[in-house]
Amino acid sequence: MTKTFLSLEWKKFSRSAAFSKGLVIKILMIFGALYFGGIAIFMGGIGFKILQKAVPDVDPLITLNQFLLYWVLGELALRFFMHQMPVMNIKPLMTLPIKRSKVIQFLLNKTIFSFFNLIGILFFIPFSAALIYFGYAPLQVAAWLLSLMGIVLCLNFINFLINKNNTYFYVIASFAVLSVLLNNYNIISFTKISESIFYALYQFPYLVVFPLLLAFILYKSNYNLLAKHFYLDGIIRKKIEKVETKDLSFMDQFGDIAPFLKNDIRMIWRNKRPKQVLFTAVFFVFYGLFFFTFEIYKDNLFFTSFASIFITGGFLLTFGQYVPSWDSEYYKLMMSQNIPYYQYLKSKWSLMVVGVLIAYVLSIPYIYFGIKIFAMISAAAVFNVGLNSFITLYGGALNRVPVELNVKASAFGNTQGFNATQLLISLPKMIGPYVIFIVPYYFIGFKAGIIALSLSGILGLVFTKFFLKFIEKTYQKGKYKTIAAFAEK
Amino acid sequence: MIEINQISKVYNGKSVLNIDQLSIPKGQSFGLVGNNGAGKTTLFSLLLDLIQPSTGSISNNGIEVHQSEAWKPFTSSFIDESFLIGYLTPEEYFYFVGDLRNQSKADVDQLLAQFEDFFHGEILNQKKYLRDLSKGNQKKAGIVAALIGNPEVIILDEPFANLDPTTQIRLKKIIKDLSQQKGVSILVSSHDLMHVTDVCERIVVIDKGELVKDLKTNDATLKELEAYFEG
Repeated sequence: MTKTFLSLEWKKFSRSAAFSKGLVIKILMIFGALYFGGIAIFMGGIGFKILQKAVPDVDPLITLNQFLLYWVLGELALRFFMHQMPVMNIKPLMTLPIKRSKVIQFLLNKTIFSFFNLIGILFFIPFSAALIYFGYAPLQVAAWLLSLMGIVLCLNFINFLINKNNTYFYVIASFAVLSVLLNNYNIISFTKISESIFYALYQFPYLVVFPLLLAFILYKSNYNLLAKHFYLDGIIRKKIEKVETKDLSFMDQFGDIAPFLKNDIRMIWRNKRPKQVLFTAVFFVFYGLFFFTFEIYKDNLFFTSFASIFITGGFLLTFGQYVPSWDSEYYKLMMSQNIPYYQYLKSKWSLMVVGVLIAYVLSIPYIYFGIKIFAMISAAAVFNVGLNSFITLYGGALNRVPVELNVKASAFGNTQGFNATQLLISLPKMIGPYVIFIVPYYFIGFKAGIIALSLSGILGLVFTKFFLKFIEKTYQKGKYKTIAAFAEK
Repeated sequence: MIEINQISKVYNGKSVLNIDQLSIPKGQSFGLVGNNGAGKTTLFSLLLDLIQPSTGSISNNGIEVHQSEAWKPFTSSFIDESFLIGYLTPEEYFYFVGDLRNQSKADVDQLLAQFEDFFHGEILNQKKYLRDLSKGNQKKAGIVAALIGNPEVIILDEPFANLDPTTQIRLKKIIKDLSQQKGVSILVSSHDLMHVTDVCERIVVIDKGELVKDLKTNDATLKELEAYFEG
């Protein structure tokens, strides 16, 4: 039976629209997997030495254990977004003479081999090997490794239990943030707690039974949950959501573009995929912290300009690259209704600009890192509004990947939209601002660079109509291709 | 109203539609029948400029549909669920379509009031998104949305499929009224021979992309069609 399931899975994978489309995508996916896997193995291998260097007086194993609690929290949060229970099309199997337990077992066993589980294990195995190499007791190391594998499985199964409920995510996320803060201000030492839990797994090898037992219990509870709902009106039927209607009539003052704006706001608010984009955008606002807190990046103008683009442009870039794909589910309606492309585009553009403005307001605290950095963020925001918005919209017009609105993107789901054209278009988005900035900076000075970058954005704004008309032409040229591509599911 | 000239559509060397000449006058109720793969949806998609013809042209009220978009204000359609916006409630969807067709909220409400019977209490004020409605109810919403804004041409692909018997009967009355009283050209396709002969003045049969019959409906039409499809 497992063999039959496996062959079904293989067919589903190899015949999926995204996969059968191009060899390039296949190669890129394989490279991506190899890349992340390779990094994990590499980090695991040299991790011991790195930790030794970073915290010289402490046993590297203890240092690692101090942070494993954060790893658990971080991974739970990440999995919540990226890792969904794989859907197997069980509807056709329900009426066939196949034992229910078999199907559920297969479904659960399959999740064990997910990329998320693999990546942790790929890190911990070389790390353990290094431990043994440096003279730690092999038996204890083995038990510690086994415990961690057990914990990886626990995370895997916990995720499926809580995945449906947003409240859990907020609890985990706020707990994670709180624990970092409490730890940093020495109120409660979570690193100590983490150390005592995870180092104990090394010190007392027999404790390995606990994570393994917990993993087993979680497996069982997942099993029971699925078994209880293995009916047409159970897990298969999509949940009917409660309707939230907000009166958006105040938006009518925006004139021609009002109907589209209202629609776009409802689209973002009521669908899982665009909501994910919204979260990413918020994440990008904090992206600068990563760069500006490290001395090596802080004074590097390339990284500063790069980060500045993302701080205010997170929403613009992630949302804009899928215009018009956001409307792919009902694209035929849009194409046969009385819709002027120009207003349609302008509505999307306005939304992106609002996204930049909100992010810009949120980024004001970056002044803390110095007026120079904030000047860069401001200039980059102008560039985002005036040029990046149009470049992104143009890239979207060439994208033609259907988006399933109410389905979360999977870890590698985004590769479908990836091709040579997209790569080419992303170059001016990322490198452009740096080039515009660096040339006058080199010849005149910092202020000149900032002014040049801002001017380029303002110049773009002056030509708004021209750019939108140009993108409109691209839409018209690709109309039939786009309709056909969006019809493929 | 609609003139079809030497239209053909070829996919990968295989011809799926090839119609020499067909004209549909204003106010006609026009029925299109044919087996699966006959080319009904292809023809409707060509009329709406959703696919590109391999040869030939179609004009709608004198406007070449592949050249200009000026036919859109007076033409409306419901082909399949991809004409619905799943995350809107039916009301929001109607108002959106109304906005696109320059109809005020009050205009739309007035139109919707006429279809209270047709909705059978299952569309309005249901607190459900369109994507959560049943197939039949989705169809009802889609069909009524196609009537917003006084269109002169309405194209409906298989409007009777998935509808319950009561709604089918009500829909037939709506279609008849539109063409007879308001002079709307209405194009429907169907697999149900009885329904099309009931509502359409004229019935065209296509098979493998070719026009095989063009009948003016009378008492003998149903028999003739049945005889044809029996083989």
